Amino acid sequence: MSDELNLIDAAKGGSVDAFTELVRGYRDGLFRFLLTRCTNRADAEDALQDTLINAYRYLGSYNPQWRFSTWLYRIAIRNAGRLRTDDHTELGEPPDHGADPLAHCLAASERENLWRSAKRILSDEVFAAMWLRYVEDMSVRDISNVLERSSSWTKVNLLRGRRALEAEMNSTAGSTGSEAYG
Amino acid sequence: MDKFANRLRDDAAKLDAEISPQLDNRIQASLTAIEPEAARQRKPGRRVVSFWLASSLTGVAAALAVIAVLNLVDRNEPEMIPRTVAENTVQPIDVPALDLDVKAATLAGPLAQELEDLQADLRKAEEVMRGDVRIDF
Repeated sequence: MSDELNLIDAAKGGSVDAFTELVRGYRDGLFRFLLTRCTNRADAEDALQDTLINAYRYLGSYNPQWRFSTWLYRIAIRNAGRLRTDDHTELGEPPDHGADPLAHCLAASERENLWRSAKRILSDEVFAAMWLRYVEDMSVRDISNVLERSSSWTKVNLLRGRRALEAEMNSTAGSTGSEAYG
Repeated sequence: MDKFANRLRDDAAKLDAEISPQLDNRIQASLTAIEPEAARQRKPGRRVVSFWLASSLTGVAAALAVIAVLNLVDRNEPEMIPRTVAENTVQPIDVPALDLDVKAATLAGPLAQELEDLQADLRKAEEVMRGDVRIDF
């Protein structure tokens, strides 16, 4: 943690190397998350680039009271949302489901990936809350901060998301005859 | 950790999210081209600090010179100034109690955050409702 704060201080002073080292541990997870939020891989790449640039530029506004990952994900969600809004206003067309990066990153044998079901049945915000909770291991408080929602909203929607996905998981397991989750 | 959480974690790990060298280079090039706001703000600050330091040192040197001259003059003269005059000019220094509000700020911080989040909930709910109404009509 103190190493992280040292790197933050160095990056604030303009050290790109310190910033690169600082975000090294978060980059892959962030990109994976952005792939699930954007309409195509190119958008996810742009969102990652914008997120890291904004984080570097405005590092001075980071409050060490929060985890650094919380701050990064907050910027990432804003960037992904802005890209989607831009796409919508510029093109005015429904999203191309064939270009879904989540579908592209899954091998044919992994089509039953639960995150694919999550994207289909959950709203964007609940999906993000579930991802941050179960993949990034964030606390309810951190998730509320990332999504700019109240703690009660986060708790309720994490529970609803979990119930919906568990039902989906059980129905999939039942239909394939698997006994793993059922 | 329960099966559900494990399954979500495993499924997330299955997503192929490798950052290509091209993207990596692009990001590095972008980062090198910009300067953080904090670093930009620090630069004029350094100039101000050095100016302040130089003027302070000049002031201190001037004050020392005046004191030295006065001491030399005073040595030749008998003590004429009554002590009471000097005592009247000395005023007690009020030390402000700085840490009085620390506890209140700590307690109010999370509540203010929660209030902001609740207001954000309301705004988002309003937007959703407006969207629904537009769809209905």
